[in-house]
Amino acid sequence: MRGIPTVLITVSPEVSAQMRPPRSLYPKGFKVGNSLGRPGRRELQKQVLRDALELLTDDTRPGSIKTIEYPEYGEQYEPPRVRKTTA
Amino acid sequence: MTISRKCVPFTPFERELAKSAIAIVTAGGVHLKDQEPFNIADELGDLTYREILADVDSSQLMVTHHHYDHTDADRDINVVFPIDVLRDLEAEGFIGGVAKKHIGYMGYTMQLKAMYEGTAREIANDIDKTSRADAVVLTGG
Repeated sequence: MRGIPTVLITVSPEVSAQMRPPRSLYPKGFKVGNSLGRPGRRELQKQVLRDALELLTDDTRPGSIKTIEYPEYGEQYEPPRVRKTTA
Repeated sequence: MTISRKCVPFTPFERELAKSAIAIVTAGGVHLKDQEPFNIADELGDLTYREILADVDSSQLMVTHHHYDHTDADRDINVVFPIDVLRDLEAEGFIGGVAKKHIGYMGYTMQLKAMYEGTAREIANDIDKTSRADAVVLTGG
């Protein structure tokens, strides 16, 4: 298998970064369970998906996560954080 | 084969989006209503996955996942599994098409090694051999 190009849409960028995904979009402030936006908001969902797919053709740095703001999403949420462990 | 912890598994995309078929692989616990639900009673997580075909009626999809609030996905599955959104982008000519097969699994497990070395590879092979996808969109919850 040669491999399949992928792009991740993540609402937990810090958590996702641990897995080193090759291409990722973080729609800033979207809550967990809203990867593409809010229910029924098709234009917003399309824009998020277009932006994600364009990362396939953009000259991105492997492993980087691109953050894009979508003001039309409305109320913003803090993403989950990676739990720090102390020795 | 052991994958380097420092290596990013980057596969180049050498096609045009407008000529490419796109598949969805979601960890959001999405499956058809008439498929077996994921086993949320198993505290170790469920390592199985469900195949979803291109012609699926999105109203026949549901979520079984107890590690995120899927109230919004229950109303509109496209917020985690954008199958109708892909169809819209195909109609606009932005992508070439919707791949023949898509995958839902439950992205919670305490069995990480089995997920990496078993389920993830099975999903990748399944998509590679049977979906005719040129690229994959990954979503979580």
